[in-house]
Amino acid sequence: MKSRLLACLLLLGAGFFSVLALPVDLHPQASDVYLNILASGAKKLNIAIPEFARPAGQDPMGFAKRLPEITANDLNFSGLFSVVSGHAPLPSAPDALKKALADFPGAHALLQGSLTIQGEKLMVEIRLIDLTGAEPRPILAKVYDAQARDHRRMAHKISDEVVYQFTGERGIADTRIAYASTASGAKEIYMMDYDGFNVVQLTKNGSINLSPAWRPDGHALAFTSFQRDFPQLFVLFPYEGRQQLLQAWPGVNIAPAWSPDGESLAYTLSKDGNPEIYVLRTRTGEIRRLTNHRGIDTDPTWSPTGREIAFTSDRGGTPQVYIADAEGANVRRLTFEGGYSVQPRWSPRGDRLVYTSRQGGFDLWSINVDGSNLTRLTAGGNNESASWAPNGRHLVFASRRTGRWQIFTMLADGSEPQQMTRDRGEATSPAWSPRIP
Amino acid sequence: MKKTSWQTAATLLSLLLVALVVAGCPKQPSPTAGAGTGAEGAPGGAGAGAGGAGAGGGAGGVGTAPSGQVGEGGAGGRGGGLASTPPGSVPGAQVSPREFVEAISLRDIHFDYDRYDIKSEHAKALEENAKWLKSNARTLVLVEGHADERGTNEYNLALGERRAKTTRDYLMSLGVEGARISIISYGEERPTCKEGNEPCWGKNRRAHFLTRP
Repeated sequence: MKSRLLACLLLLGAGFFSVLALPVDLHPQASDVYLNILASGAKKLNIAIPEFARPAGQDPMGFAKRLPEITANDLNFSGLFSVVSGHAPLPSAPDALKKALADFPGAHALLQGSLTIQGEKLMVEIRLIDLTGAEPRPILAKVYDAQARDHRRMAHKISDEVVYQFTGERGIADTRIAYASTASGAKEIYMMDYDGFNVVQLTKNGSINLSPAWRPDGHALAFTSFQRDFPQLFVLFPYEGRQQLLQAWPGVNIAPAWSPDGESLAYTLSKDGNPEIYVLRTRTGEIRRLTNHRGIDTDPTWSPTGREIAFTSDRGGTPQVYIADAEGANVRRLTFEGGYSVQPRWSPRGDRLVYTSRQGGFDLWSINVDGSNLTRLTAGGNNESASWAPNGRHLVFASRRTGRWQIFTMLADGSEPQQMTRDRGEATSPAWSPRIP
Repeated sequence: MKKTSWQTAATLLSLLLVALVVAGCPKQPSPTAGAGTGAEGAPGGAGAGAGGAGAGGGAGGVGTAPSGQVGEGGAGGRGGGLASTPPGSVPGAQVSPREFVEAISLRDIHFDYDRYDIKSEHAKALEENAKWLKSNARTLVLVEGHADERGTNEYNLALGERRAKTTRDYLMSLGVEGARISIISYGEERPTCKEGNEPCWGKNRRAHFLTRP
């Protein structure tokens, strides 16, 4: 008992919060709540997210409304929650709350927030409450602060925390998508929040820039650029506003892919006669060659263990997906259907790959690492260039289904496609960032 | 309901102070943990209360696009050094495409979908190109390899490279010195037409020639 109180004090984290019903158990199993809900046959957890309360002061920008809207959108997007939002704040006193909850039958959880504004600074206290028991039971109380201009990021961090509480894995709302766009007239690299907001142009060289690839720490982007007139590999540091030339061999320097430990970069060079895959140790500059075949070998992608690499090769006569170990040995062919399968992307979960295949039009397909469970994910309109979200549950890709190339997301089973860009030009080559530290 | 004395104490304490924390401990508490309110900053700058420095500025602080100038070499970005770039070639060995002009006398040749072999019907055009090049012995030639828009951008860059290379190899087999011929791939990035139909696609699957007198 004594140690429990001590634990309580030691775990003081976020700040003040007046709790009126303190459970003795300080580690309620929120994930059990979620698992129980799924076990009961529900497909999603029903969560209510009312507008945030404002104890005092003006809110001319409407943050008390906007913040929970963004969080609600994130949780809807996750595919795990069914969200009811937009209603007036609920009381926090337990009896009044219980009474008000009668209006939300079937809600499994409630996210309440209280917003205080001081000049340009926002402070939000949130409470996450489990409604599946006899009494409403607080799971989490936490305080966030941010500058008003970063309010979207604050809302994303809140939704990521809610996902973490229920699933044990942090959400992916605080992530970015890098991509190529011709909106400026030339194809340049851009970055946006995963939900399409806060678009930032990262290159401005007026040439051709494509194939952005995030380093696993999220601080660097490798990409192909013609800014020095030839297809070469550069790295840009999006939060530092600078670039660095990485590889400028004669011929192509294309299709970069970072290893999971961030220390190596696989890519394609044609300097030795035809396009082959090489691996660069980025700290030392040392390069080793992975493939040795007279045709085209490109599109490397690493398994999450870093022990294998999948790639495209036409060594069998048509472009298909192959897998080799990270030294280039033990090559085996993965795809056999259709005459053109390229751009493999290994899921962060390790169990399967998504790739682009031409069977009629171009579509995205997924296949297990052992070659089983071949599944078509898109159906028509030309779809290519998939990239996995860090949780392995979502994909971002380029689609021409609206008539022009735009960036879309979908769940990993192909459901719930959503358009993310409404680019003035054409948007292609998306890459989903790691979770932002 | 009966309560032990510890439970009572815990409840009383909570009425005064406590924030509930659950498994998955938050980041290191800020220096004012337990007293202040500032905790999980959603950073524009470094995350308040987070252990390390934030990712150099988070969302609000993203730099504007860097200028077209490339800073070569230099120390790597945060989180790990990147070796200074090996240029990978003898300086000056690659002539810039900017030094070349459209070659009216040299005809494009075309390729089948997803192929980079020279078709027999184009052998004649290449023979004529080779003849011209041999009688203008000091002219340099740049062979551009292109692909149509179908298929992925990376594969098409590799395909364009193979098309340029087989064209170069063929010219060399006809007696043009290899040192005069450079190649470059533009993949699907520089189409001559954009109609999105087979005649247009056929036009884009090409090797194109430029010269430097």
